[in-house]
Amino acid sequence: MYDVVDYVLNTTFNLGAAGWVVSLISYLMIATVLFLVAPLQMLFLTYYERRLIARMQDRVGPNRVGPEGMFQPVADAVKMFTKEDIIPAAADKWVHLLAPLVVVAPTMFMFAVLPWGPGMTPIDMHIGLLFFFAVSSISAVGLMMAGWASYNKFSLLGAMRAVAQMVSYEIPAMLSLLAIVMITGSLSIVDIVQWQGGLFISSSDVAGVPNWGLGWFVFNPVGFLAFAAFFIAALAEGERTPFDIPEADSEIVAGYMTEYSGMKFGLFFLAQYVLNFLLCAITAVIFFGAWQGPGVNELYALGITPDNPDGNGWFNVLAGVLGAFYFLFKTYAFFFVMVWIRGAFPRLRVDQLMDFGWKYLIPLTLVNVFSAAIWVGFNNWGANEGFGFAEPLGDLGRWAVAFVLTLAINIAAYIVMTRIYGETRRVTFDEQLADTAGLPS
Amino acid sequence: MIKTEELQINIGPQHPSTHGVFRMLVTVDGETIVDLVPVFGYLHRNHEQIAEVNTYLQNMPYTDRLDYFNSMANNQAYAMVVEKLVGIEVPERAEYLRVLMVELTRILNHAGALGFLINDMGAWQTPLAFGMREREKILDLFEMASGARMMCNYFRFGGVVRDLPPAFMPLLKDLLVALPAFFDEFERLLCENEILLQRSEGVGVLPKDLAISYSVTGPVLRASGIPYDIRKAEPYSIYDRFDFDVPVGSVGDVYDRFLVRVEEMRQSLRIIEQVLEQLPDAEGDHINPKAKQNVRPPVGDAYARIESPKGELGFYLVSDGSEKPYRYKVRAPSFINLTPLGDMCRGYKVADVVVILGSIDIVMGEVDR
Repeated sequence: MYDVVDYVLNTTFNLGAAGWVVSLISYLMIATVLFLVAPLQMLFLTYYERRLIARMQDRVGPNRVGPEGMFQPVADAVKMFTKEDIIPAAADKWVHLLAPLVVVAPTMFMFAVLPWGPGMTPIDMHIGLLFFFAVSSISAVGLMMAGWASYNKFSLLGAMRAVAQMVSYEIPAMLSLLAIVMITGSLSIVDIVQWQGGLFISSSDVAGVPNWGLGWFVFNPVGFLAFAAFFIAALAEGERTPFDIPEADSEIVAGYMTEYSGMKFGLFFLAQYVLNFLLCAITAVIFFGAWQGPGVNELYALGITPDNPDGNGWFNVLAGVLGAFYFLFKTYAFFFVMVWIRGAFPRLRVDQLMDFGWKYLIPLTLVNVFSAAIWVGFNNWGANEGFGFAEPLGDLGRWAVAFVLTLAINIAAYIVMTRIYGETRRVTFDEQLADTAGLPS
Repeated sequence: MIKTEELQINIGPQHPSTHGVFRMLVTVDGETIVDLVPVFGYLHRNHEQIAEVNTYLQNMPYTDRLDYFNSMANNQAYAMVVEKLVGIEVPERAEYLRVLMVELTRILNHAGALGFLINDMGAWQTPLAFGMREREKILDLFEMASGARMMCNYFRFGGVVRDLPPAFMPLLKDLLVALPAFFDEFERLLCENEILLQRSEGVGVLPKDLAISYSVTGPVLRASGIPYDIRKAEPYSIYDRFDFDVPVGSVGDVYDRFLVRVEEMRQSLRIIEQVLEQLPDAEGDHINPKAKQNVRPPVGDAYARIESPKGELGFYLVSDGSEKPYRYKVRAPSFINLTPLGDMCRGYKVADVVVILGSIDIVMGEVDR
């Protein structure tokens, strides 16, 4: 953004603005855009989800307000704003008021590191990925505040479930990302996206692969297992079916949101959908190359870049639009999968959720970290690191060996873990009887 | 050892998944149920007392409101008890029509019950929508025959109120062709779904002896492994003429109740097919023309029971010789099946409570009369 503002101010209009002015203007523009994007995404996502799930259920869905019901979310927003805001008499007033803000604010911050297109990452932090997940876990505090301040048993149960779930599913999510970070050697989201150029084989792994923007991590065994584990963990973090336990409407009413009404409820709702969008987006970024796709890199190379300051600005715009299109398309595809799962699956129980996370996902992702080490060793290490024996294979040969090895390890881990998990899963009839017999009647 | 405080939660009376106004006083230790006391009576509307100031015929539409999912079955039980009290013969065709309607009711009840059960497990309405789609087709048939979708009021003493309209049979035959596909779809979609298995296997176990001592009936009893079906044990109406099986579970958990209901729908379909084969073609034979509707039964009492989709539905009538019953008592299956809820839930998690409740399949209109 800095480059574009600088170009417009100083080259096109010759204003001679100082560097800090350009920075200020570009950051303000970014902030404005991001704060507009988040609620708009949420409005569209609610409509998208309701229409989709209606299709899956033999219904039509909202189709009255505006063409094809497009303005239904707007009507809902108006309703939210005009509703009475109720604070329960016994509630802790200030914490009750602050909780929705603590939940919403981090989700807005997370937009700061999303790469929308080539050169279109609002802030390219060296620790972008860490920032993203560190900020996302702040909202767990807000959920606990909401549950505690409401002075309602359902809220408290919901908040306890939410926090337990978010905290325990962050571990498999982080472990699956660790594998990716090991391969790229960088926590910067821009670097991770750059790595995914190429054609099924990343051009960073094997030199000379045509850069069609299709070297996504999901195409290698390490990335695929990491993707599967991460997406499941993302479902749990975003409180989506089958992990929508914190707000299980058939069990604990609405969980931590039970005592909220009006726009405070709306803020929770906003936070949730924005978080879901962000989780889909980050899945697309890390495993599906974000804006990477055929044509983007070629267009961007013709535009104004640090390497090519004399390029044509229009190519930046074209590359940005195409990149943003790829990025949003991937994101909405993941959101579609989320909706699909919601339309098809029942919900897990809270202890089963913990079992699945700790006994299945975490071991699996740990094995994946090991596979990632093998991948890195074969692809990036030379004689100095003790991988001299692999050098005669050539780049492509090393890549192929790494592919086969990691694939074998990951499939073996999957089969073994599934078998172990399948054995321990079923509580037998006798055990169940013993459980109930011991309790006072 | 850390001592945690136990928490008392009222689940209900207004709660999304208590299937009506019903309260469960739950004591939980964290997420584990320590104790559960079902509290009912919120929907009490003096059903039995009101029935005693109505004439016998006036009570017929009133029985529709007991279990509003299966008005046909309620009608049959009530018609049977009055016929027993007065001594009315029922013509052949009328009996077949009654069986046809009650078996259709069983399919629609189970389709709805399974949909709601999976909804309670957290599937967001899709299985319910699938169940309701089939239920709708059956309700269309009911509307054709009786004029009402849910409150059918179709039975009379000595038969049914009117014969089937001509358009009924083609539609029914279409439905019979379509239903097996629905059962297969339902089974394929859900019976081997990993999450459904996890949520239902070994959950809410009701052992045989406990089931008997609570006098539980219907699919819940059969899921516990006791092959007791009044249609077989004490054949009423013309059930001895049909060939059908009684599905039985082995463990008595939620999954067994689920499977028993799926299988019962198939068996009902078998019965309906046999009804259509054997249905006598005598027009106007849908009701005994000699049967009076404003009955004055002789002094005495009678009890009649049927296998309603939810269990044993019985009516007990005491007549003092007037046009109104002296005493009218309903043995409602939902009410009696609900009593072991505390024992079924103890030791499980909060999330299991709603699933176990859903697997019993209650209708509050019948529990609180």
